[in-house]
Amino acid sequence: MPHIDPDLLRRYDRPGPRYTSYPTAPQFHESFGEAQLREAAAASNGDPIPRRLSLYLHIPYCTSPCFYCGCNRIITRDKARSESYLVRLYREIAMMPELFDRDRDVIQCHFGGGTPNFLSPTQLGEVMDSLRHNFNFSNSSKRDISIELDPRFVTPAEVTELAAIGFNRASLGVQDFDADVQAAVNRIQDVDETLAIIDACRDSGMRSINVDLIYGLPKQTREGFARTLDIVTKARPDRLAVYGYAHMPQLFKAQRQIESTDLPSAEEKLGLLQLAIEKLDAAGYVYIGMDHFSLPDDDLAEAQANGSLHRNFMGYTTHADSDLIGFGVSAISHIGDTFSQNPRDLEAWQAAIDDGRLPVFRGMRMDEDDCLRADLIQALMCQGEIPVAALERRYAIDFEQYFADSLARLAPMAADGLVTLAHDRVAATTLGRLLLRNIAMCFDRYLDTGGAGLKPASPPYSHAI
Amino acid sequence: MTGVVTFPRFDPSVVADDGDLRRFCSTCAFSQACVAEGMDKSSLGDLHMLVEHIGPLHEGDHVFREGDRFDAIAAVRAGTVKTYIIDDDGREHVLGFHLPGEIIGLNAIDGDRYPCNAVALDTVMLCRFSFPKLSTLASRLPGLQKQLFKLMSRDIGKALQLAGDWSADQRMAAFLIEFSRRLAARGFSATRFRLTMARTDIANYLRLAPETVSRVLKRLQDDGLLRIERREVELVGLKALETLAAPVLRD
Repeated sequence: MPHIDPDLLRRYDRPGPRYTSYPTAPQFHESFGEAQLREAAAASNGDPIPRRLSLYLHIPYCTSPCFYCGCNRIITRDKARSESYLVRLYREIAMMPELFDRDRDVIQCHFGGGTPNFLSPTQLGEVMDSLRHNFNFSNSSKRDISIELDPRFVTPAEVTELAAIGFNRASLGVQDFDADVQAAVNRIQDVDETLAIIDACRDSGMRSINVDLIYGLPKQTREGFARTLDIVTKARPDRLAVYGYAHMPQLFKAQRQIESTDLPSAEEKLGLLQLAIEKLDAAGYVYIGMDHFSLPDDDLAEAQANGSLHRNFMGYTTHADSDLIGFGVSAISHIGDTFSQNPRDLEAWQAAIDDGRLPVFRGMRMDEDDCLRADLIQALMCQGEIPVAALERRYAIDFEQYFADSLARLAPMAADGLVTLAHDRVAATTLGRLLLRNIAMCFDRYLDTGGAGLKPASPPYSHAI
Repeated sequence: MTGVVTFPRFDPSVVADDGDLRRFCSTCAFSQACVAEGMDKSSLGDLHMLVEHIGPLHEGDHVFREGDRFDAIAAVRAGTVKTYIIDDDGREHVLGFHLPGEIIGLNAIDGDRYPCNAVALDTVMLCRFSFPKLSTLASRLPGLQKQLFKLMSRDIGKALQLAGDWSADQRMAAFLIEFSRRLAARGFSATRFRLTMARTDIANYLRLAPETVSRVLKRLQDDGLLRIERREVELVGLKALETLAAPVLRD
């Protein structure tokens, strides 16, 4: 890992998208609706080798609000609310199969939230039954069925049940074990309980365990975060995500509960990131890109090495080239060259399903320029470099000419040692790989073109670091 | 950037090129007839008078439908046109795919109604030739008549190729090689192109199940003979594919 110059990092700490998609969700528009989604699905069936399917299910409920959260979620202790949600979810699941040819099997299925384990293992089992009834799940050993777990609300016995249902990957929210931080973000989480869940995942045969950490939280200190990193690396989850906290209280109500005076300074935040990178490096983790690390023998590291790594709304994945169907409130689908999103408010989503309509409220069809830039950003995020010759061939462009503006914006970043620019190769340096989103922003047609010193973009995005 | 254009991308100059009194657009099926047979200026002018530029048609737009009164043949300038019939049980049968430079409507020549449907699979531009006028002209211009016969016989030959007892792999390889050769003949890349038709259309045309089309393509891909990304195809092992296709294509 490189030495990080704080001055340089501060200059690049600008708001920007995380590029789980390109174009990003703010580009979606409401003239893309149900008819367009059906068309996109039909077209995707027409590919000579239609893509496999990935399923995403959004479970919006949480028992208590974590103050840092920017996800679409509903806080309730009323477990009965999940029943009426599931009734609609089953209807939505049943609407989809007719859109997709039967030989398109499911290679990846992910439950996110909210808190998926707001649902009981029995309920989750019923959702899986419904999915298996309606879709053809691949028998491949590479097939993933994953779930985000809040370790505070699941028991080791329940983890065993989840494994029996078919879940073979789990992602556990930890953030920070420090007591002061936990109090400040309203998420009190016991170390031993969390480790017991990690053990349970492993003992029940799950193939991979991910742990999410966050740096830049209120009251967070190097000492406290170092202890958390030590505990977590000792537990050796296969994958680790270390996200930068994005404080945007104007956008996320829950964040207004956080005292901005408790937040670490930009300087301290950088220190926390550097600490995480050093500790994970020392513990043998490999940096995958954009906040993600994995053990060297994990599928992700292997996929990165052989060029098959992919990034989508669920983060990094080894399943390139699948069409993604999102179920539930606010869920996003990515079918062929289109994106589509379900309503972000529960009432609108329910109303659409009760009317028997596919609950899509906005989306977009990518044009050729979008596809080109999406390919480019995908490669940057996953391989840390731009495959110039391949893009030129595939899109019949002259790279230097087509991206003259982008390359001009990139020039100061090259001078800062973040990228190397050659005629046939644009690659992020080791340092640049920590700032992939800044590099990607140079190629984003929809951002204000302020160059590497990008203006705060509208709509608001979180900061790069 | 490579010099060869990959289908169905077109050099905008092709479509902008409406030809002139001496020269037909470069994609036109009749251009060879004109050039090779050394038509005189007035003959060329007469032929040109018959041409009507049609389009752009969009995916799903019909050029003509079965039973429509036959009054014209059309040359594809850009895009792909699928011809098909619907049988008595309501099942579709794909007759063929027509690429730039190729003619549709030839199989209507012996009657006064189109015997099939023709639909645009992507953005299509056409040159329409009024048939009564064309045949009158052809009786005056031997070169034109010869070209018409040539096009008709080629049309018949194409339909015969798949009637044999070929394996799915052989059919698929033949389809790809034939597609590649037709594109190359029009100046497109022979090894990289986009399959503009849906897999159900390919399956229907080759008399295979759609799943079989995908399975065979996956196998050919695993064997390193081709690469497919969505509808973009790259023929990597052209020689091996040609060998596989040879019996079908009677090479």
